[in-house]
Parts: sequence; C-alpha cells; structure tokens
Amino acid sequence: MQFVKSTCLAIAAGAATLALSAGALPKVVSAEEIVIRMAAPDWPPTRFMQEEANRSYKAPSGNDVRLELDFIPWGNFYERVAASLTSGEQKYQMIVTDSQWLGSFIEGGYYMKLNKFIDADPELQALMEDLHPALVAAYSTYPHKSENYYGFPQMPDTMVTWYRKDLFCNDAERAAFKETFGGTLPCSYEDWENVDWKAWENIGNHFRRAKGDKLGDGVADDDFYGVAYQASKTYDFSTMQINAFFWQWGGGIWDETKEPEGKAIGVVNSDANVAGFERYLDLLKLAPPAYKTGQMGIFEIQDLFMQGKVGAIIDWVGLGEPVLDPKTSQVSDKVAFGVTPGKRGSDGKIERWANIGGQPFVLTTWNSDTVNQEALDIVKWWLSEDTQIKFAKNGGQSGLKSVMAMDEYKTFRPWNQAHVAMLPWQRDVWHIPEFFELLTQQQEEFDKAITGQKSAREALDAVATFQDDILREAERIE
Amino acid sequence: MSHPTEPQGFVGWLLSPERRGALLVAPAIFVLFVMNIFPLMWSFGLSFFNYRANRLTVPSFRGLYYYERVLTDPVVWERFQTTAIIVGSSVLLQLIVGFLLALLFERAFPGRRILLMLVLTPMMLSFVAVGVFFKLFYEPTFGLLSQFVSVFTGEPYAILATPTSALIGIVVADAWMWSPFVMLLVLAGLVSVPKYLYEAAEIDRASWWRRFRTITFPYIKSLLLLAVLFRTIETFKLFDIVYLITEGGPGSSTETIAVYVYRLAFQFFRTSQASALAYILLFVVIVLTNLYLYGVQRRSQEL
Amino acid sequence: MLRRRQIGKAGWGWSLFAGVISLIYFFPVLWIILTAFKTRADTLATPPKLFFTPTLDNFVSVFSRTMVGGQEAIDTGFGLFFFNSIFIAGTSVLLALIIGTLAAYGFSRYPLRGNDTYLFIILTTRMLPPIVVIIPIFLMFRITGLSGTYFGIILLYTAFNLPFSIWMIKSFFDELNREVEDAARMDGSSERRVFFRISLPQVTAGLAATAVFALILTWNEFLFALLLTGTETRTVPVAMGRTIGGEIGVDYGLLGAIVSLFLIPVFVVTFALQNQLLRGVTFGTIRK
Repeated sequence: MQFVKSTCLAIAAGAATLALSAGALPKVVSAEEIVIRMAAPDWPPTRFMQEEANRSYKAPSGNDVRLELDFIPWGNFYERVAASLTSGEQKYQMIVTDSQWLGSFIEGGYYMKLNKFIDADPELQALMEDLHPALVAAYSTYPHKSENYYGFPQMPDTMVTWYRKDLFCNDAERAAFKETFGGTLPCSYEDWENVDWKAWENIGNHFRRAKGDKLGDGVADDDFYGVAYQASKTYDFSTMQINAFFWQWGGGIWDETKEPEGKAIGVVNSDANVAGFERYLDLLKLAPPAYKTGQMGIFEIQDLFMQGKVGAIIDWVGLGEPVLDPKTSQVSDKVAFGVTPGKRGSDGKIERWANIGGQPFVLTTWNSDTVNQEALDIVKWWLSEDTQIKFAKNGGQSGLKSVMAMDEYKTFRPWNQAHVAMLPWQRDVWHIPEFFELLTQQQEEFDKAITGQKSAREALDAVATFQDDILREAERIE
Repeated sequence: MSHPTEPQGFVGWLLSPERRGALLVAPAIFVLFVMNIFPLMWSFGLSFFNYRANRLTVPSFRGLYYYERVLTDPVVWERFQTTAIIVGSSVLLQLIVGFLLALLFERAFPGRRILLMLVLTPMMLSFVAVGVFFKLFYEPTFGLLSQFVSVFTGEPYAILATPTSALIGIVVADAWMWSPFVMLLVLAGLVSVPKYLYEAAEIDRASWWRRFRTITFPYIKSLLLLAVLFRTIETFKLFDIVYLITEGGPGSSTETIAVYVYRLAFQFFRTSQASALAYILLFVVIVLTNLYLYGVQRRSQEL
Repeated sequence: MLRRRQIGKAGWGWSLFAGVISLIYFFPVLWIILTAFKTRADTLATPPKLFFTPTLDNFVSVFSRTMVGGQEAIDTGFGLFFFNSIFIAGTSVLLALIIGTLAAYGFSRYPLRGNDTYLFIILTTRMLPPIVVIIPIFLMFRITGLSGTYFGIILLYTAFNLPFSIWMIKSFFDELNREVEDAARMDGSSERRVFFRISLPQVTAGLAATAVFALILTWNEFLFALLLTGTETRTVPVAMGRTIGGEIGVDYGLLGAIVSLFLIPVFVVTFALQNQLLRGVTFGTIRK
C-alpha cells in the first residue's frame, strides 16, 4: 500500500506543477480585491445581472469587488451545480437556484441560512418586508413557510395567458363566437379577467381550424388550434400546470408544512384532484398534436404560438421576450397578455391558483465573513429600486412590492400587469430533499395519463402510493 | 545495427526481453489506473455505505443492503428490459445497415471517396445535435416525418406518442448515427481480401453464400467481432439521445438503465444505491461480453 | 470463355446507385447544415422549405451575440472554445495512439501471464455509465488541482480513448504475418527495427481507423467537458448546450451553425486519412 500512496503523491505533485504551468490556480483573494463567483443559468435575466454589475456596481465597503457569473447552459445547470456542491468543489460564493432545490442543498450543508445577517441589518429587514410574501415563502424559506431565510429573488416568474389580439379582437370571429357559444371572445385585458376554463374550452373549440379554413380576416395556412398549455415529461413541466388544476379544484399536493401529520394517500388521489386532473386532460385534447407525445413543454408551446399555430397559450413571462422579437416570432405585433383562466366558484369568483416559477439566488456556506458581507451588499444592490427598475425595463421582473406598485411598472413590458395580478395566486411545489424523486415519478405517471396509457385516477393512485412510501421512508409521514 | 551492446545494470534489467511486454503496456496501465481505477474503486466502496450527497449525516456501513435493494427493485428490471430491447434492435440494425453500406463501398467507382465521406458524417455529429434535431424531425407539427406522412394520410403523425413507435424512433436515431462505425470496420476487412481468392472462387463457380462464408467472412470476422462488442458496450450506456428525444417517455417506455442510474445518482441523490446498480450493470455487461467472446471463440474453432 | 465479372471495379451505374443511397443517408445532416442558413421562421416552416433565402446571421451569432435587448453584441468566446476542442482532442488522440500502440504491440507480441484478463479489465473501464464515476473524478480533479486545466482533461480523454485504441490496434497486429518479423529477426534486425520498419507500417490502416474513431468520440464528448473544464478550457460541445433551453427552447439556426463549423475539422481529418482507411489490412501473403 505504501507504494500506491507514494505514487499517488507523486502524481498529485506532478499534476499540481502542470496545473501551475497551465496558469489555472485559483485567484488569490486579498482584502482589496474580492471576486464573488455565482453559478447562473445562461439566459437574459442573469446576463443582464452581469452586464449591469459591470456597468454600475461599486462596493460600498470600498473593496474592489467583482461579481463574476459563471454562465452554464440551462439544460445542464442542475448537473453542474449538483456536481460542484456535492463534490465539495467550493467554487461558488453565490448560486442561482430553483426553489425546489432548496431542501436538497440546505440539508446537504451547502446553502447558508441568513437569519443572523438579516437580524443584524435593518436594510435587509426592510428588503424582506418589501418582497412579495408569495416570493419570500417560495424562494427563501426552508422548511417551507418557516422563519428560516435563505434566498432572494433573482428572477420571479409566473405563468400568464399569451393570446393573439388580431384574432380575439376580430369582429367576424367575435360575432361567430357569440353565435355559437353565447359569450364574448376575450379581447381586452379586462375580458381575460373573466375567462374560466369553460370559456377556455369554448375558445379552443371555436378556433380549431383545418388548413385552408377561414381564420380572422384571412385563411389558415396550416392546421390551427385555439388553446394549449404545457404537457411534458421534461423536468417539472406537466406538474407546473397540473398543480394549478389540483389547487383550483380544491385538492392539493402533499403538504410539507403539515409534516408529519400531512398525508399523501387520500390527498394526492382525492376526488377533487382526480376531477381537476381529468379536466386538465380533457382541455389538453384541444391542443396541437404535440400533446399526444407527452413532449409539449414550455418551449414547444412557445414555438407553436410564435409560428402562428395556436391562438392562446399559458406560459411563463420569463419566455415572453422572444415572442416580441420579429426575428424569432411571426406574431410579434399581434400578441397581448392576460391573467390565466381559473375555476369559477359557486360565488361566481374565479380562482386562479398556480405554481410559481423563477429562481432565487443564495449564498454558500464556505464563505469568509468579508465575502458574506460583500455578497449581501450585492443582494442589496440587486434589490435596490434603481437596479430593479432597470431590470424590469429589460424584460426582468421585480419581486419588490414598492417597485411593482409604481404606475409605470405595468408599462415596462406588456405582460407585467398580468404578472402582478397573478402573484398573489402563486403557491409552490415541495422543497424537501426528496422533491426530485417525488417529481420524477409523478411526471412519469402524469405522462402515462397524458399519452393515454392510464386513466387520471390510476395515475394519481400510483403517485399517492409512491409518495406515501418515499415520505414514510424519509420519516416525513407517520 | 545488429546486436547492439546490451545495456547493463537497472536499465539492462528493465529492458531485458522477458520484461518487454510489461514495459510496453505499463504506460497504458498507468494512465488507466489513475483515471479509471481510482474512481471505480471509490464508487465501489460507496456502494456498501449509506451515503447521500444531500445529507450531512455521517455514512454508515450497510453491507450488501443496496445490492439487495437494487435487485428487488421492480423499476430496475423494467429498465433492464427496455435497455435490452434497445441494445438488441439497435446493434442488429447497425450491423445490417453497416454491412450493406460496406458492400456498397467495397468496389472502386467514380465519386467513391466523396460519397463515403457523406455516409460517415452521422457519427461525427455530437449527441446533442442528433438528439435535438431528431426530436425536431419527429415533432408532429413542424417535423419532417409528420409532414412526410401527412402527405399520404392527411393527418399529422406523432411517432413519439406510443411506447412501441417511440422505441423505434430512438433505435432509428441511434442506429443511423452508428451504422457508419460498423461500416468502416467491415469495409477495412472487405478491402483487404486478396482479389485472387475471389477470382479462384469465380472459376470454381462457388455460390455467393459459399464465397462469403469461406473467403470474405474470415477476413472481416475479427473486425466484425470488435464492432459488435464496442457497439453493444456503448449502446448499453445510451443516455443522451433518449434524454433529449423522449426523456424516457411516453410514460417510462423508453427509459434506459443509464437514464435510471443518472436519476438515482444525480436527481435522487441515492448515491450508494446508484453505485450498487452501476456495479450490477457492470457485472451483467462483463458476463454478457464473456459469453459472447467465448461463443465467438468456440465457433471460430469449429470453422 | 468464362463469364468473368471485373472484381473490385464498378462503373458510373454503381456511382449513381451509391449516390442515391448516400444522399438519403446523409439527408438529416444536410438538413442540419441547411438549418444553419435559415431564419427561425424558415426552420419551422410548414411545409418544410428546401429552398429559401439563405442568411449568415446564425454564423455571426456563433461568434458574437447580443445577450440582452438593446445592449451591444459581446464576444461569445467561440474562437477559444474551438481552439480548445482542437488542442484537447488532438493531443489526447495522439497520446492515446502512441500509448495504445505500444500496449497493443506488447499484448500482441509479448503476452503477459493473464494477458487476456488484463485486456478484459482494460475494456471494463469503458462499460460503466460515466455518470457513476463523475463524482469521484470531480473530487480527484479538485484535490489534484487538475480541474479546469488542459492537462487534466487531456489525461482524462487519453484514458477514455485507450481501451478502445488498444483493442483495435491489437486486433490489427494480431492479423499480421509473424513469419516476416521472425525472418527479419533472424537476419539480425533489432526489436526496434522490427517494430518500426516491419510491423508498424503494416498497420497504418488500423492506426488511421483508430485515430478517426478516437477523434470522433473525444471531439463530441460532453459530460466531462461540462463538469471538468473551466471558462478558459471549455470546449465547443458545452457551447452547443447554450443553444438549448434558454429563453427560446432550441435555437436551431445557431445550433446548426455550430454543428456545421464543428464538423469541418473532423471531416477534413477523416478525408485526409481516407486512403489509409480504404487500403485495408493488406499485408503479407501468408496469413497466420
């Protein structure tokens, strides 16, 4: 064994020498020069953060602080972060993270609890006060809705309705719709506030056209569909939409805040959930044929919409920018946004519960005090009114109530009004370390129901049984 | 140049003929040891502990618990079956297509060089490109396949909608990408068959099959063996194409064992269980390859 | 008169036949290359467009791109990624060939005790899904400081290519006619001379084939490149990842452009080695 050991040492030494010669040793951090490296998915909201930091960030401490984002492709962002954290690489001082990952990486000891910093800093307290409560709950607390705080919003995201105003406001279409279905075809933002799932169904049926049929003032150049929302096995796609149906139908998901009394069996496969899921599957049949593959995700419906194949979709505002860009979108001048449909209750009011998207950013546990202070200064800079307004003008979203309350906020981007209106309706999926296991199995079962291999009830029964097993094993259900 | 003076001492000892073999293979073994054996042993060790990368608890020894757990996991068996179907049909398809392509390029003809390059390009593509573009080809609204089918049926076609057709979609993409590999190896064997052997067979009026069995096959045998071996090993690990085209769907009908290992290790953080499954997988592949090599040897002795 | 077919020679008729088959086989690649010259609307057009007004926008965005609306275009670093890919793949393939040839010659000519076992163990290192070993490798790279260095990733890729190279080159050595080598030895040639002058020249086809395969595998490797390279050593496949799942799903045009550019070097190398590949395993007249 001695031989092996010394060989390993020799290799290590040799390797280190070579690494030196390749000039790849980590930068030495001195008191004046501090680099805050943040793992970030590669897309506009994070690119903006980097560009804006380069332009305008000056550390109030007087130190020479640079925020350096390591841009990682979205498709592999999770792997890169997971590999970096679990191998103890300690490369990042801050990380942009999906809210669902909080439990995993907090219990693994990688994300830092911020309570003592917040308690000691009135500025941070004011910030937390100003953040929208739905965002604090989803992005910052672990256990969910507890008083332990971890993250701040980097990019808050919600789903809204994107629709073709050229078609929905077309007089001929409106008259035809009124004749067949008796209601109004929603044209203005206010009209959409009154759209429930029944109206959504009518819209879907109304706009279903074959190639060559009359559409609006012209003729459909391809098969045209009225409505679509996501139905895809990828990551959390189906779940994000189906959860909305669960909540609106009065059902729900396993409630992590009620641990260990909260149940999976009887909750996940409750009659309300089954009814909601059946309605989801029902309305899905109005969508373009991609839904049959269980591969109609947020990007597929975005493309279908941008290429003029569908009249209205429900998608994230974070994906809204390309639809306004004539280079990527055929409908850039014909699009408008509204709140999502919901279920009309017995009192006539519409419930729009939905699953929140977007990402918080967090601090890691291995930073020195100086680095922590500098990182929190970056948080304050990012969540300052000034930066947030610039961000919102460039297609981002603010999480601050004060910024969202400004009159001109609505006008920054065409979806902002709907986004702000949807925020109070947001809930979130689980944050526990077992979330990925629950998610993967659930996505698989949902996919079976979507592709017609199972009924809604069979799928939900399977989900409930599985969750019961996993959560009992994790001692989260007694 | 002949009989140079033999070096003395350590160098002489090292260079002596009986150590020549060891010396020649030493650099390779060294690199492989450093880069492969250590990580393999590490995860082998992990498979006996209950280590989870997203927990702070100190790992404790669990013996064969995770092996038992993996072997009794019905999901594992399902994934094994899916993988076996994909490996079997894809490698078979690669062999057939690769062989036919090799026959096409065996003779010299005008334009052969450039046409051969065209056929070789699929395997030069990255998995990302093949996965992403085949997904686009298969898409029911925009995809070429659906557009093509709808010319005849008038209906858009969604190949990824049913378990069987989705499997076919995956196998076609994988086999398309890697048949050129088989072709190149077979071709290397084919072009090396001395022509006079064929001429002699022609004179004997030997049947095509006989000519193939007695002349061609012996020349391509060892290369064919390599092709099957390598393609089987690689297809067993099939991950990217599946993940990009169907992500294992519809339902779980195209989810391979490699995708499941990935989920266990990276998504579920069942690190030890993933290691155990990987070693069971390794064991299966080793047994299969040994059976295969043994079978090939037996057959070649009979012939 | 015997009806004698010209063996090994075919005319234009065969060219036509092979041409049609090759084009069908090549069609998906052709489509990807065409996509590189298309706007998004043309890429997703129904019915699909074979003829369109080509644009070079995608190729421009490979090198510099506007990330956020209204800001000026910034360099994507693609030039560096491209250089990295060539340097890393080139070096590691060369290393794998040299080390692999030595080992293959050793295994073939000077069998060790348990030779087959060694060979088999070498092969088993390719059998595990890479995802299983990624964490220990990641760890090892961190401890040794290899993470993000050229040396680290080159060493890893060399190891990655070795099993395959050894097996393949060995099978070519095995096919050689030993009697020629022995005759040379009898004539007093040194071992070195036998290796360089007699054995090695006869397996150039095998070396060429091995080089092509190793190059292709290394060239397109994604997972290790994603996890073990830093901003300075990042390779093109990782840059390809950027074209998927940002704010717009897949940027087909951009991906097509990167794929097309990235195809050129391997295409050229394979074309250059083609004569060797086609020469086949033509050696001594008597087979063992």
